[in-house]
Amino acid sequence: MLTAVKNQGRVSFLSIKYALMQEMLNRVTFFTNILFMILNNASFIIQWIVLYSIQNNVGGYTFKQILLLWGIAAGTYGFSHFFFENAYDLSQIINEGKLDAYLVQPKNVLLSSITSKVKTSALGDIFYGYIMCFFAGLGVVDILLFTILSIIGGITLTAIAVLLGSLSFWFQKADMIAESGNGFMTNFATYPDGIFKGIVKVLLFTLIPVGIVNYLPISILTEHKVEFFFLIFLFMIAIVFFAFFLFYRGLKRYSSSNLMSMRI
Amino acid sequence: MRKYLFIYKSEVMSSLQYLANILFGFLGYFIMLFIFFQLWKYLYSDPDSVMNGYTMAEMVWYVIMTEILWSTLGGKNLCQKISNDVKSGNIAYNLCKPYSYIHYALFSHLGSITIKAVLYTLLGLVLGFCFLGEFPNISFLSILLWIISSIGSLAISSLFVIFIGLFSFKIEDANPFYWVYSKFILILGTIFPIEFFPKILRPILRYSPIFATTYGPANLFVHFSFQNAFRVLIAQFIYLGIAYVLCYFVYQKGVKKLNVNGG
Amino acid sequence: MSVIEVKNLQKTFRVKKKESGLKGSLKSIIKPTYRQIEAVKGIDFTVSKGEMIAFIGPNGAGKSTTIKMLTGILYPDSGDISILGLDPKKERKKLAYEIGTVFGQKEQLWTHLTPYDNFKFFGAIYDIPEEVVERKIQELKEVFELEEFLNTPVRNLSLGQRIRCEIVASLIHEPKILFLDEPTIGLDPVVKENIRSLIKRMNKEYKTTIFLTSHDVGDIEKLCKRVIIINHGELVLDDTMENLKYHYLNKKMVEAKMKEKVNLEEEEGITILKDKGYNLKIEVDTTLKSVADALKLLNPDNIVDINISNIPLENIITEIYKKEEEK
Repeated sequence: MLTAVKNQGRVSFLSIKYALMQEMLNRVTFFTNILFMILNNASFIIQWIVLYSIQNNVGGYTFKQILLLWGIAAGTYGFSHFFFENAYDLSQIINEGKLDAYLVQPKNVLLSSITSKVKTSALGDIFYGYIMCFFAGLGVVDILLFTILSIIGGITLTAIAVLLGSLSFWFQKADMIAESGNGFMTNFATYPDGIFKGIVKVLLFTLIPVGIVNYLPISILTEHKVEFFFLIFLFMIAIVFFAFFLFYRGLKRYSSSNLMSMRI
Repeated sequence: MRKYLFIYKSEVMSSLQYLANILFGFLGYFIMLFIFFQLWKYLYSDPDSVMNGYTMAEMVWYVIMTEILWSTLGGKNLCQKISNDVKSGNIAYNLCKPYSYIHYALFSHLGSITIKAVLYTLLGLVLGFCFLGEFPNISFLSILLWIISSIGSLAISSLFVIFIGLFSFKIEDANPFYWVYSKFILILGTIFPIEFFPKILRPILRYSPIFATTYGPANLFVHFSFQNAFRVLIAQFIYLGIAYVLCYFVYQKGVKKLNVNGG
Repeated sequence: MSVIEVKNLQKTFRVKKKESGLKGSLKSIIKPTYRQIEAVKGIDFTVSKGEMIAFIGPNGAGKSTTIKMLTGILYPDSGDISILGLDPKKERKKLAYEIGTVFGQKEQLWTHLTPYDNFKFFGAIYDIPEEVVERKIQELKEVFELEEFLNTPVRNLSLGQRIRCEIVASLIHEPKILFLDEPTIGLDPVVKENIRSLIKRMNKEYKTTIFLTSHDVGDIEKLCKRVIIINHGELVLDDTMENLKYHYLNKKMVEAKMKEKVNLEEEEGITILKDKGYNLKIEVDTTLKSVADALKLLNPDNIVDINISNIPLENIITEIYKKEEEK
C-alpha cells in the first residue's frame, strides 16, 4: 500500500516535471507568461484603490484584508492551475477519448491525466500571492500558513473542476457547465463577502464554495481562527473523495473514440 | 465591399449554431453584473446620493453598458484566432486571395458577435430593470446614437485586438500583450467612469482609446447630450483610422518577413 | 494454455441524434433522441500463449472497441473477459503491468522528450527500479536498433521512428501480451516492413503473445498464423492463416488496357469481372492457373498497361460475410 502511494507520487512528480520542461522549451515565452500574469493581477489593485478612496471599509474588509483576499485567490488558483491544469480540460479529454493512454497504465487514471500539463502563467499567480503577503505585512509564520491555505484551497478548486469535468461522462455538452462553474469560483473570489447578503451568501458557502476556498482563509490569516482551519481541511477531504468517486463512476461510461490525438 | 458584407453575413449565420454556448456565456455575464450591482448597492448606502456625478442607478447602468461591450467583444478568442492564423501559416494563404486580411478578420469577427451583441444587450436591459426597478429616462434619438457608437466601439476594439494578435509575427505568444491591453480597458474603462480617477489621470483617459471604446458610448446612455455624442463620434472616427493604420503596418511588416522565410 | 478468453462480449454506444438546422439544434437540447449503436454483439474467442493473432475487419466493424475492452479502456456492457486470468473490469491496474499496448493513431510518448527519457518515464510508471530500466533500455536499443535516435527529441523523429519507439516503450515492462491497434497505419511500405519484422522478432525473442488489429492485408499475411474476422460487431471467421490463404488470398486481380479488342472466354481459374473490349478486369485463381498463364491468354504484345493486385481485404470480408448470411 505504502509503496503503491510512493510509486504513484513518483510518477505524478515526473509527469509534472516533464510537463514543465515542455513549457520551458521557449524561455522567452515562459518568462513573459509569468511576468505578464503578475502585471495582469496587479492591475486590479487600481480598482480597489479607487473603491477605498470612496470608503475605507468595503464589505467589512480593510485594505490589508483585500490584499490578502487577492493573495489567497491568486495562490489557490495558481496552485491548482499549475499542478493540475488538465483538470480544467477534463471535459475535452473525456469527449475526445484522450483517457486511453492513461487507462492502459497501472496508475491512477485521474491523477495521471490531470498532472500531465502545467500552466506557466499560473506560476505568476503563485508569485503574486506571495507579493500580496509581503504588502499585507505578513510574518514568516503567517506566510507559511498562507502557503498551506493556498494548497488546501488549490486542491479544493481542483476537486471542483474534476467534479464538473466528470459530468462529461454523462452529458456531452457538460464542458460549458464546467466552464461556467469554474468561472463562478474565480469571479466571486476577489470580492469581499460583506457585499453579498441572504441567499447568495448561503450559496457562497455551499453550492459555490468560494466562501470556503477564499473567505474563511482570510479569517484564519487575520484572526487565526483554528476551527475554520479544520473546517476547510475537512471540506477538502470530503470533496476530493467525492471527485474521485464521481470520476470513477463515470469512467465506466467512458466511450473513448477513434479521434486522432497527439500529446504535443 | 460586397465580399466583406458577404463574409459578415455568413459569420452571423454560422454563429447561430453556437447558440447554446452563447446562452451559457450569459451565466458569467450575469454573475459579473450581479457582483457589481451588489458592490455599488453596498457603497451607495443612500441610493439617491451622488458620487462623482453619478447616482447609484446611473452607476449601475454605466457598468451594464460597458459590460455589454466587454462581453460581446470576445477579445480573447479573437486574439487567439489571429495569432493562430499567423503561427499556422494560414495567413500566407490569404496573400493570394483577392481580399485584405485585416478587412476579412474584422468583418468575420463582427459577424460572429452580432447575435451575441443583440442578446447581451437585451439581457443587460432586463437585468438592469430587475436590479433597479426602472429604466432610465432616455429619448429615442439618444438610443440610436448609443447604438451607433456601440457598433463603432466594437469595430475599434476588434481592430486593436487584431493589431495585438498580429504581434505573433514577432513573438511566439501574443496573449500576454492582450492581457495587459484588456486589463487596461477593463479597469480604467469598464468598471468605473473616468470621473472616479484622480484629476491628473482624467485628461489622459479622455484622449485614450477608452473614451472611444467604452466610456463614450456608455456615457451616452447615462448622461446624454448632443455635444457629448458629437465628441464621441469624432473620437471614434479618429481611433478607427489609427487602429486600422496600426494593423496595416504590422501586417505589411509581418508579411515581408514571411516572404523572406518562405512561409 | 489460453491467455485470452472472451465470452459473449457486448458493447452498445448511445449516440445523440441531431436534426439539421436551428430548429433541430434547439430540439436536441430540449428533448434529445438517442440512437443505439451495437458495436460488439456478443463475441467469443480464446488465444493461446505465444500466438500471433490478426484481428481484422473493415472500419467500424468493432475491432477497436473489442481491443479497448480487452485492455481495460472501455467497460463492457456484458460478457466475460479473462486476460491472463485477470478481469480488465475489476483489475485494470494489475492487468496493466502484464500487457503492453500500441495504438497507431494515438501517441503515448511525450514529444518534447527524447526516447531515452520517455523510456525512463515508462519505467517509473511500471515501478521498475532505475538500474533495471537502464539495462532494459540498453537491451532494447540493441535489439531494435534505436542507437542513432535514442537521444533525439521525439518530435524530431520520422513517423516510422516514432512508431518504433512507441512499440519499444510498450515493452519496457516485459509484457506477456502485446496489443497493437493499427500499428502500421499511415506508414510507407519500407517502414511497414520494418515494423513487421520488429513485431516478429518480439514474438520470437520474448515469446510475447501478439494481438494485432489492422486492415492491411500485408500485416496479416506476413505476421499471423491465425485470423479472426469481425464485421458489424460479430465474429465472421476464426481460422488459420493457411486456410484463409487457401480460400481467398490465392486470387489476384488483373486489370489490363489493350491495344486491340480481345475476346476472352471464362475458363478454369479465370473469372471475368469486367470486359469493355479495350479494358479488361479478370480474377485469377492462382491455385488453378498461374498469373503468367493468364497473361498469355491476353497476348502480352497487346497490353498497353497492366495492374496486378491482391483482392482488397474489404472484398474478402464482404465475400466471407455474404457466405455467412447464406448459411
